[in-house]
Order: sequence, then structure tokens, then C-alpha cells
Amino acid sequence: MLTGLLRTMDFDSDSQDTATLTDDRVQHWIACVQKVAEKQDTAAFRELFDHFSPMVKSFAWKVPSLDHPDTFAEELLQETMLKVWTKAASFDPKLASPSTWIFTIARNMRIDLLRKQARHVVNSVSLYQDDEDGELDLEDIWFEDENSDVFNLLAQQRSRRQIHESLKLLPAEQTEVLVKVYLEDKSHAEVAAELKLPLGTVKSRVRLALNKLKLVVDR
Amino acid sequence: MVRFHPDARFLTDYAAGSLPVSQALCVATHLHYCPGCRLRVGELTELGAELFMQQQPAAAVDGPSFEKLLTRIATRPAMGTPQAGATSDSKVSSLPRTLHKLAGANLEKVKWNKVGSKFRYARLNVGDRARETSLLDIKAGGSVPHHRHQGDEITVLLKGSFSDQEGKYVVGDFIVRTKGETHRPVASQDQDCLCLAALDAPIVMSNWLVRLGLRLLNRQKAA
Repeated sequence: MLTGLLRTMDFDSDSQDTATLTDDRVQHWIACVQKVAEKQDTAAFRELFDHFSPMVKSFAWKVPSLDHPDTFAEELLQETMLKVWTKAASFDPKLASPSTWIFTIARNMRIDLLRKQARHVVNSVSLYQDDEDGELDLEDIWFEDENSDVFNLLAQQRSRRQIHESLKLLPAEQTEVLVKVYLEDKSHAEVAAELKLPLGTVKSRVRLALNKLKLVVDR
Repeated sequence: MVRFHPDARFLTDYAAGSLPVSQALCVATHLHYCPGCRLRVGELTELGAELFMQQQPAAAVDGPSFEKLLTRIATRPAMGTPQAGATSDSKVSSLPRTLHKLAGANLEKVKWNKVGSKFRYARLNVGDRARETSLLDIKAGGSVPHHRHQGDEITVLLKGSFSDQEGKYVVGDFIVRTKGETHRPVASQDQDCLCLAALDAPIVMSNWLVRLGLRLLNRQKAA
């Protein structure tokens, strides 16, 4: 069905090839998630694991100043893939591609684990003995279905191809900032402090990058 | 119609997951009201997924790790089916979903601290020690005295409307006041105003609201 939809769009022949290729791979991972959901298929799960876990581990290792990076990476991998298994039934291929879905799960689990670590450290040195876990469910803030309604898979894939092509063309200083923000868990303010740049410079690098990637920026 | 939105910085840090949780709560609450920003966040999440997949992969992950995972799956407690009534979707809710666990779907979990007759606040425990996250309730016609921001403050308007020297704000608006800015929000005359606010409180769990409240109270006494 998706292929049909893609054909109705106005691609030149080159990007149609890319589209089909991408589409086949996406369809394969969608099928794997569905087999996990419907048949608790461990072979399909193994495929997902083999494909995505090296990315999850890299993503974990990029967090700066971890005391035990290997332990953290293994923990993030376990928690992320466990969630892929338990949430497979709620995965909706109309709303997200598997890689986007798994990225959001890994991102959320990383936030969660880092918060637990921080709490542990704070509690062991703190004068006040709270905490207080926070009466908060992270999934209520960082939704795993955030692409729903307005940003369907078709729009995502178009935007994803655009991003894929244009990322190669970004100047190094812009890519550097994006990598720090997205992969190294640093906010704009933290990137500015690390690179000894004014916050405004970091903001404008990101903004220039988003413009080049043709992502909607500010109105 | 929402007029004030988080800028690219907030949306990017949010999509990346690097935004401090109290500020992320403000962004997520704004998203509840704003399809345009949901679209942007969707795109920025795609950028994250692309960067994620373009990483230099770690070496293939070994067998024991997968075996351990399968063992955990086999031995985990049975997943109960979601219980009816577990979510508050079924009942009428006056707050966005982002605030349900913190404040209740209809503010039933909120413990107000009343300061004066027209202003009360309630702290929300989001586990962010560097910031104070609160609901502010200003009665119709009430105002907050002039104050200077010691840190950045984000406000998301949840009900009613208020205005300051910059203009009038409506439900869903995401308003940022940076350190050093002065402003004096005034609630509309005809309805109460409810806001979510995240304030940088760098040193102590700040008493900003209390000080603010006391000043308000003193003014009323003086009046």
C-alpha cells in the first residue's frame, strides 16, 4: 500500500530507486516487529536485535562522563530491546518507521536511566534525604507516539530521505553541534559551554543546519 | 489560536531528549495545543533517528546479551491488560495528559499554597532539582507584582488569559522570559488564569513564589 502511495508522489527516477530500496528495508523491519507482536517470534526479534543493538550501544557510549560505560550500555540495550518486545503490539507502521520508533524508545530509556543515576548520586551526597521519585511518567512527556495525527509515515519518509541526502552536505561545525545535541545528550546551553561559544552561536548553527535540511524551523 | 511557540532551540533539545525535564514538560504541554509544533517535533525526531542510524555501530553484540534478554522476557511477570479506568481518558479532563499524573486530570491531586486572595501556586514534583515547576493560579483581575527574573522562566498558559507589556496571551501559548527581564502579568478581568511555569532556580529550592506572594500580600495590606 505504501509503495502505491509513494508512486503517486512526484519523484525523479533516481529518488524513486532510493525510495523503493528504503521502502523494502523499512517493510522488512516492520514485518519483524509484527512477527514479534503476533507470534512472539524470537527469530524475528533476533534480527531486530542484531540490526539495532550496535546503534543502541553506540548511543549509550556517547553520554559523557559515565562511571561505567559498558555497564550503562548493556543496561540501555537490555531495557530498550525489552521494551521493543513488550510494546511491539502497540507499534503502528502507519505512524512511524521501525528505526524512528526504536530511536524514540532508546532516547526515552536513556533519559530514564540517567535520571535514576543522577538521583542515586544526589541522594548519596545530599544533605536533604528526599527523593521523591518525581510523580512523573516520562512517557507522558516524551511520547512514543508523538508523530501521530499530523506526521504520518509517508511524510516521515519523505523528510527522512531529504535529511539523509542533505546531512552529507552540512559544514562540519553544524554537524558537530547536531551530533552533540542528539547523540551526546547535551542541550544547546551545554554545547555552548563545552565549545566555549555564545549560546546564540550554537542556536544559529542549529538553525542553519535545519534550514539546509529543509526542516520546518520557526514561523 | 496559539501565537507563541517554543523556538528551534527548545524543539530540537526536546526531540533529542536533552532538554531538562521541567522544560520538556512545558514543551510537551504546548504540543498538546499546537499541531504545528507537533509536526516540527516529528521532523526533528526523524533527524534524530537518522543521526542514530548513521552512528558508527558498536561491534556486533554478543550472544549472552540476547540470551539474557530472552530469559528476562520468559520470566517477567505477566503483563496485565490495561485496566479499565487506569487512564483518565474516559472522564472529562480539564488538563493536558502531560499533567495528569502530576496534578490529576482535574487538578484533584494539587496542593495549593494560597498567598493573598488572588494568587495561589502548587509545586509539581518532576524530579528536576535545578528548577522549580509549578502551577500558578491567578484569580480574575489579579496580577503578579513586577518581578525580575533571576533565571529563565517558561510559562505555558492552560486556562483563561493574561497580558503583560508584550501583549495578551491565550491558552497554549509558550512564553519565555529570560534572566533580567522584568514583567508584570495581569489576569483577565473576566476569568481566572491557570499557568504551568518552570523557573530556573540555580541554588536553593527557590522561595521565589513565596517572596512574590508576600510582596503581593504586603501590597494588599498597604492598600
